[in-house]
Amino acid sequence: MTIEEALTKLEEITQKLEAEELGLDEAIGLFDEGLALAATVKGRLEEAKLKVEQVLEKTKDTFSLEPLDLP
Amino acid sequence: MNDEHVYTISELNRSARETLEEAFTEIWVKGEVSEMKRAASGHLYFTLKDETSEINAVRFRGRTSAFTPLAIEPGMSVLAFGKLTVYEPRGRYQFIASLLQPLGEGALQAAIERLKARLKAEGLFDPIHKKPIPRFPSRVGVVTSPNGAAFRDVRSVLERRWPIAELLLFPTTVQGASAPEDLVAALDCARRFSEHVAALDVLIVGRGGGSAEDLAAFSDERVARAVFDSPIPVVSAVGHEIDFAICDFVADLRAPTPASAAELVAPDRAEIAEALRSFASRMTRGTVDRLRRRSDRLRTFLLPSRYRAPRRRLETFDQRLDGLVERLGRSTAGLLTRRSERFARLDDVLRLSDPRLPLRRGYSMTFREGSTLPLRDTEGIAEGTEIETHLGCGRLRSRVEEVMDA
Repeated sequence: MTIEEALTKLEEITQKLEAEELGLDEAIGLFDEGLALAATVKGRLEEAKLKVEQVLEKTKDTFSLEPLDLP
Repeated sequence: MNDEHVYTISELNRSARETLEEAFTEIWVKGEVSEMKRAASGHLYFTLKDETSEINAVRFRGRTSAFTPLAIEPGMSVLAFGKLTVYEPRGRYQFIASLLQPLGEGALQAAIERLKARLKAEGLFDPIHKKPIPRFPSRVGVVTSPNGAAFRDVRSVLERRWPIAELLLFPTTVQGASAPEDLVAALDCARRFSEHVAALDVLIVGRGGGSAEDLAAFSDERVARAVFDSPIPVVSAVGHEIDFAICDFVADLRAPTPASAAELVAPDRAEIAEALRSFASRMTRGTVDRLRRRSDRLRTFLLPSRYRAPRRRLETFDQRLDGLVERLGRSTAGLLTRRSERFARLDDVLRLSDPRLPLRRGYSMTFREGSTLPLRDTEGIAEGTEIETHLGCGRLRSRVEEVMDA
């Protein structure tokens, strides 16, 4: 799931929890799901490390990616 | 006389060409352009002259040795680089220009202005052509020099704000004679990479600051057209705040500097953390409110006769719930002010407001076998019905021995 998709999903869950008449079980299920999703996104944002590469074209339409480490 | 060699015309012209080419390779010439003609082939034929003399000249399209094909026009003083040769079929000698640039104070600027007016009239700057820049890019391409400040700046901004993304450099020169063609080639490379390997969400095209001449490649017509034609949204970032290049007008978005281009294309993860916190507290609030409504229902439904727990206990429960909501509010305020602890506190808030906390205090929920709704009354329950009770920790499966109606 992309971050964008996760945020959309969180918005959906939040709106349901705020507005809809839900069974307690369903509410708890959604709350759990939302909590886990928020934690996952948070983790991904915190742990992400920018991948940096240089694109070189070897032959027509054949590319090689070389990692660019910080000098 | 008999010993002397008699040239054929072809031999003579070839010999003259060889002599001239050898004597005048790689020379600089300055003069005024007159009688300019652009052939269908794309070659540019013109005459260079000064007060007393003139010479035929040509600039071939698509030569690998570069030139600055800014709007060169008759009457303009130019500096040309190239070689002298003879066009053998006609026996005419001419100058082949590989580099052609406006000469003199303000000439470059004037040429850029003319090109800008022409492209604008063609509709290349129209807002209707501007493509939207995706909000959460997963792959960001940069067309710039591998050694310049531009790439370093983009990189450091993305590292801070949006390290989720993958940053891809499409190296090119950004100044000098070959820069326009290199830039066009790098843009083309990015386009094909995006088609064949992995889709790019956005492309930053630019360079750090420099003199007007240094930035000239970004006002080259071919570069402008390549940027305009890019199927990938382009953010242009040329030089400093005050610098403008034609690239800026045809790009989908203009950024004042490469660093700000990176800020424009990437969301800030700190802002997303803020959004996550807001979701979490809204979810929590929604769930706590639900729980409160349920406990109200529980009170009116159970009291006074059906429930053995003293009223005091329920009141305590309510107070705890109030305390929980208050604590949630305080924690939320705290989260806003103490940014660095935001995530740690967020987890606390979520843990504290788990709707199952009442279960841990000794309340329980009972379900009929196979049902997901907790039981509220004895309807449908008979002796022998299987029920499941959820406790703070663990569950009990039981069989009803006796049903006692209120």
